[in-house]
Amino acid sequence: MTTQPLDRTPSPSKPSISWKQWALPLSVGLIVVFCLAPALWQLLTSFKTNEAIAAIPTVYFPSEFTLEHYQELFERRPFFNYMLNSFVVATLSTVLALGLGSPAAYALARLRLQGESILVGAILVVTLFPPILLFLGLLNVVQALNLGNNYLSLILPYAAINLPLTILVMRSFFQQLPRDLEDSAKVDGYSTVGLLLNIVLPLTLPALATTGILAFITAWNEFIFALTFITAEPMKTIPVAASQLGGASIFEVPFGPIAAATVLGTLPLVLLVLFFQRQIIRGLTSGAVKG
Amino acid sequence: MVLDLSRMQARLRDTLRRWKASIFSRIFSFAVLGLAITLALGLPSLTQQPVVISFLMLAPETPLFEPLIAEFEEQNPDIRIQMVEGPNAPNLVEDLNTSALLLGRSPYDLINLDVVWTAKFAAAGWLLDLSDRLSDEQLAAFLDSTVEAGRYEDRLYRIPWRTDAGLLYYRSDLLDTIGAAPPETFADMMEAAQTLQSETDVNWGYLWQGRQYEGVAAMFVEVLSGFGGYWIDADTLEVGLDLPESIEAVRFLLDTVDAGVSPPGVTTYQEEETRRLFQSGGAVFMRNWPYAIPILDADASPVQGMVGIRPMIGTPEGEGAGCLGGWGWGIVSSTPHPEEAWRVVEFLTSEAAQRQNAMQGYMPSLRSLYSDPEILATHPYFTDLFEVADNTVLRPNIAQYAQASDILQRYLSSALSGRMTPEAAMQAAANETRNLLGRFADRSTEEEPIEPVGSISSPATPLAASNLPVEPAPLTDSPDLSVTVTVKAEEPTPAIAPMPELPIAPSIAPSIAPFVEDVA
Amino acid sequence: MTSNSAPARPPVTHKIDVIVQRDRQIGWMLTIPALLLLIAVFAYPIGLAVWQSFITKNLGTELQPQFSGIQNYIRMAQDGRFWQSLWNSVVFTTLSIIIEFLLGLGIALVLNQAFRGRNIVRTIAILPWALPTALIALAWTWIFNDQFGVVNDLLLRLRIIDSGINWLGNPTLAMVAVIIADVWKTTPFISILLLAGLQSIPDDLYEAHRIDGANAWQSFWQITLPLLLPQVVIALVFRFAQAFGIFDLIAVMTGGGPGGATEMVSLYIYSTVMRYLDFGYGSALVVVTFLLLVLAVAIAAYLLSRVRGSAQATDAR
Repeated sequence: MTTQPLDRTPSPSKPSISWKQWALPLSVGLIVVFCLAPALWQLLTSFKTNEAIAAIPTVYFPSEFTLEHYQELFERRPFFNYMLNSFVVATLSTVLALGLGSPAAYALARLRLQGESILVGAILVVTLFPPILLFLGLLNVVQALNLGNNYLSLILPYAAINLPLTILVMRSFFQQLPRDLEDSAKVDGYSTVGLLLNIVLPLTLPALATTGILAFITAWNEFIFALTFITAEPMKTIPVAASQLGGASIFEVPFGPIAAATVLGTLPLVLLVLFFQRQIIRGLTSGAVKG
Repeated sequence: MVLDLSRMQARLRDTLRRWKASIFSRIFSFAVLGLAITLALGLPSLTQQPVVISFLMLAPETPLFEPLIAEFEEQNPDIRIQMVEGPNAPNLVEDLNTSALLLGRSPYDLINLDVVWTAKFAAAGWLLDLSDRLSDEQLAAFLDSTVEAGRYEDRLYRIPWRTDAGLLYYRSDLLDTIGAAPPETFADMMEAAQTLQSETDVNWGYLWQGRQYEGVAAMFVEVLSGFGGYWIDADTLEVGLDLPESIEAVRFLLDTVDAGVSPPGVTTYQEEETRRLFQSGGAVFMRNWPYAIPILDADASPVQGMVGIRPMIGTPEGEGAGCLGGWGWGIVSSTPHPEEAWRVVEFLTSEAAQRQNAMQGYMPSLRSLYSDPEILATHPYFTDLFEVADNTVLRPNIAQYAQASDILQRYLSSALSGRMTPEAAMQAAANETRNLLGRFADRSTEEEPIEPVGSISSPATPLAASNLPVEPAPLTDSPDLSVTVTVKAEEPTPAIAPMPELPIAPSIAPSIAPFVEDVA
Repeated sequence: MTSNSAPARPPVTHKIDVIVQRDRQIGWMLTIPALLLLIAVFAYPIGLAVWQSFITKNLGTELQPQFSGIQNYIRMAQDGRFWQSLWNSVVFTTLSIIIEFLLGLGIALVLNQAFRGRNIVRTIAILPWALPTALIALAWTWIFNDQFGVVNDLLLRLRIIDSGINWLGNPTLAMVAVIIADVWKTTPFISILLLAGLQSIPDDLYEAHRIDGANAWQSFWQITLPLLLPQVVIALVFRFAQAFGIFDLIAVMTGGGPGGATEMVSLYIYSTVMRYLDFGYGSALVVVTFLLLVLAVAIAAYLLSRVRGSAQATDAR
């Protein structure tokens, strides 16, 4: 499978260059359309008037833009407060997941623990337990420990849900690092922890940023736990607050405000990802120089 | 865009720093707040602080209650009401209440109960029996069906504060063009719809909710009632889904699509899909709840002033009736303050409170308010709504309603989407429902083991139709608009009473059969 | 599965025992906090599910637990709805992760190229994963509406169809629709994991390979894929678990309909426990589903280790 017969390969480099010239922009364009179109739809909806939203046939590009849905969002509710809450919960749980997960991943990758494969297997098995079912059991725990309306009841489960991904992803990256690097660092007198912090982690920054982004997004958008464990109004997170948006009755679906909430709720994530993209690139180039 | 983003990044980083500093103080203050709330809930008996009565409310309805709560607290300084805002979705609110109650000591003292939750919550032992709280005269002021829906095994657990019922919307302007009166029967409606579809440019005749969800069950009980059938008799636990009337009802729904009167997509619609299509002028008739009345009549609505309403229609064999919805208060059995909780319930279901709600367009559960001049001045359509509200059919008032409803939804949806024939689908639904009720009866009584009756377990035998003398005919001869359910509950009972037990076969074979055949 | 991926290497140092000993101690210190958190959060719910699967606790017993042995499991064997939903989950999971993997790999390869605005495009590529599922599922429901949905509108305008397709009303098409929505939503999860993997493959490896006369296609098969394998495996395992546990998307888009054609096992379990209050039976459903998932992953791991073992000799590193 890994050895390809030579005769099946496309012919020399000249046509492949011209092929590359249009293939890359085209595929980038397709990716952008694929990923952006439905999201753009939400963005447009959030600026449409209610009449344009309800209109049949569908109005793709509204002739009239309005901010009323955003106003609605802020009028009745402290929407920024919800964003802040989500930010606190997502950040702390992500930090916890990365902070506990990366060292464990390193140990499992490099430090020859007894029963390593059993541990990895167990961590893997835990991920197969669907969160929606995890919730049913945690209900008892949260009540027994009186953690309702306490952010610990969100931060700890979120961190735990993200831990297996963190551990397994980071472990795979640690294993791919050239071992000579660590050996020579040890010769230079680094302790294991110092080695981890000063040499290994910077090299795996792209992986760390990637798992961090995934963990953050998971925590940011989680709904059932947040809905059930946090009922105090000032403590609610964005998805729960968004679920409270309503029309005049329970049957009416408030498309405008929902779209506005989606846009506002996703914007911080977009900014965060943009910010971390830079870190990823930077970490990569600096790593390459060092290596 | 790019420039903006980089500036925003810088600002974000700046804000981040400030947030980080406040994270811990925030957490701390929340912890203190949490502690304070706990103390406030736990200690009132020791101190002279007011009792706190707490409940969860659907988000869109909280504004309705804010003035009422203020008024109540002013009149009752010894009670504080804490209204917790839940999501804007009944099923999520149900789950939240369930989660809270499961844990034994609920944080809530009251529950705002949808009609179809009452039996389950009562059977779980989560509700206080309110039977002795109101006299018969007091109860008589309520619409019968709304009280009936609050009973479980002859005890009252729920006091309704508002009602709801399915009804038929029609385009009065279009009917005028062909000189037709609003239809009385399904046949009338089909005819008018087809005429208008061919003579005018209206695309569709009739819109209904056919997606697999609770709404399809609500829609179906109306059609069932219209064809003289029934779903489950709450008293005898007899299942009527495989009676010829039920199969006729399914056929009718299929016909609306086959005849081009309803768009094929109705089998995926919920309330909003139908409302939007109707509002855009795309259809002549629609089955929906009263929430659409003010929306359809709003200034921006393309059909403003062109819409009429009437109670749900039927056939000569069965009277049309709207499915009963609506909400009421129950008191959580573990509340430390049942008396105070009851005072809140009394206030929130009082005529004064319901009048305020009615002014906001909510259908009251008290009869008198439908002829209240003050309300009629604002909402003239309440006259028509009384007929709707007083002519309803209940979904089965049984503890395992949720499961029974899911069975019906799945098989009805199977039939509507062509996965199964109406006969096979309704037979399977009936068998599975009987199995469900049998399993439950088996466990709760723990006597009279259910005898396996071989011939009946065969899916080919329409059990109820052949064995039981249940003729749902009595429905037609009740010209007064009194609640259909009461009639239904009383009439067949004597006929069934001699029957010892429902012969329920423990074999689940019939329930698996449909899955084998729908591979095709 | 990923456990034996550390390449066997000969001991370098003569003080091996001491070093291994100390490494292990530090290793445990680094691992235990994470394990404690996992145990704190997962042990009780899993244990509770196992215990409750042997009792009957539902409305029939007034929510009091009664020991009933394996009765729940017997009932499950005859529960057509369970097997149907399990089958639906298998179909949904298999199809969506295969499509997601191919798409995600393609996207990752493209995004790993150098081009202007790469940062922005990478951010856009994560966007679907960042949008809240329940809200975006609502949008998909309307996108697939038969009368005024965008999909039908586009197909009609392009003259591919001449009347609106009833996407969510047809058992097969409804499954297709939810798979499309899920693929859109979760492909970014795979593509950014793979992208991170691609970024950590040193360029000089490709350089050397090119000097040896290999072309891009050969580099892909001989360098990229083997070195990307750990991330591929992780992405697939996690997507497998997520797809099997899918809830919001289906609940909003089809509610499991039409006729149960898109009801996934997670929806059935949730209904059984939260709505029917049938805790014992619901727990048995959880346990069986969970064990089947573990079994599936174990079989996949075994097959993978055999494939790898035979491919070890030709491995790029």
